[in-house]
Amino acid sequence: MECVVQGIIETQHVEALEILLQGLCGVQKERLRIHELCLKSGPNLGAVPSELRILCDLEQPEPSWTVRHVGGSMRGAGAEQISVLVRPMVESKASKNVLRFFYVLGYKLDHELLRVGFAFHFQRGVQITVTVSSVNKMLKLHATDEALPVTPGMQLVEVTAPATSENYTEVVAAVTSFCEHLAPLLHLSKPGISTGVVPTAAAAAASLMSDGGGTTL
Amino acid sequence: MSPEMPRDFIGMSLPEQPNKYYFTLRSHRIVVESDVSVQNIMEKLQSYKSRVALIFEGFQYQLGDFQLRVGKVVPSHSENLRGIVMEVEYLPISSLEKSRQIMEEFIDIWQEALSKRSLPGHFIHVEPNFSEYGLSDHYTSQHTAVQYATVMAQLIASAQAVSTVRN
Repeated sequence: MECVVQGIIETQHVEALEILLQGLCGVQKERLRIHELCLKSGPNLGAVPSELRILCDLEQPEPSWTVRHVGGSMRGAGAEQISVLVRPMVESKASKNVLRFFYVLGYKLDHELLRVGFAFHFQRGVQITVTVSSVNKMLKLHATDEALPVTPGMQLVEVTAPATSENYTEVVAAVTSFCEHLAPLLHLSKPGISTGVVPTAAAAAASLMSDGGGTTL
Repeated sequence: MSPEMPRDFIGMSLPEQPNKYYFTLRSHRIVVESDVSVQNIMEKLQSYKSRVALIFEGFQYQLGDFQLRVGKVVPSHSENLRGIVMEVEYLPISSLEKSRQIMEEFIDIWQEALSKRSLPGHFIHVEPNFSEYGLSDHYTSQHTAVQYATVMAQLIASAQAVSTVRN
């Protein structure tokens, strides 16, 4: 299970966001270059359609592979009350031929993306990860060296935190609290609920850049 | 199901790798090593379902530099004996080629000792072509997974042969 919120930020303000995150998280950023392949079940495979993602971390000296399955988000009156998306999620590291394995099983490539940016992994009562990345599409199959931004000038910010059915309310509270610190620069909300850029972003970014984050926003 | 999709594949866990899970697709010479959580993913996908579960259980012995595991193969919810498996590991060397001679000598000695006991049945060893699975000369748990998948295929084939003779 995981808790997720997303937002967008103009590329020109990413450096300021990085300064802010550095101060808030207290850890070093990690570079991010993830080739993400979305696979969907082909016809006649299984009783119900299924979907999974294969992630290839290209930032490592030896690319590492992860299989990821995301389930439907939590629903109901309780879920609508909270500003964070809670959904089942399972990940597994796998050896490099995992993509070929799922192709042979009958899965087809639906689309692929390349996410390039950075991430902060830190503890704030709970484990939280903030990723800031440009989402890029490939013009040719698997051509990660020839990827182009889907939205030039804009980057995606994701805040995620692993959770269980026993502690998700605590995780939701921690994520919500953390996101409040980012409010002058960007607004984070449930995936699928678009809020656009915040009007204070430019001023907040300028303030952060002028004194390297010493100013309290 | 489309003819090019495999009807089945094998998933297994090995005692020496408690946090790992292995898939083997013999028809396509694929072996995948993953975390145990991949089983949850496969359950959620519902594209393939577990049909038969076999357990290999027995004892482990140390004979000098050799480690032996001998055990019975039974379905998970039954005591019907499907076969007996013996796993021989030569601990000092991880190279398949460099250990080949000593492994063959050990098997010859073992087969000779067995032949003097007049026991029913006989051990069959079919070494997979590991390079077809993309595996190197350096022995790993993925090699073990491929070998057990081959053993399972042999057990299934022999059970089907016996069933055909009876019918």
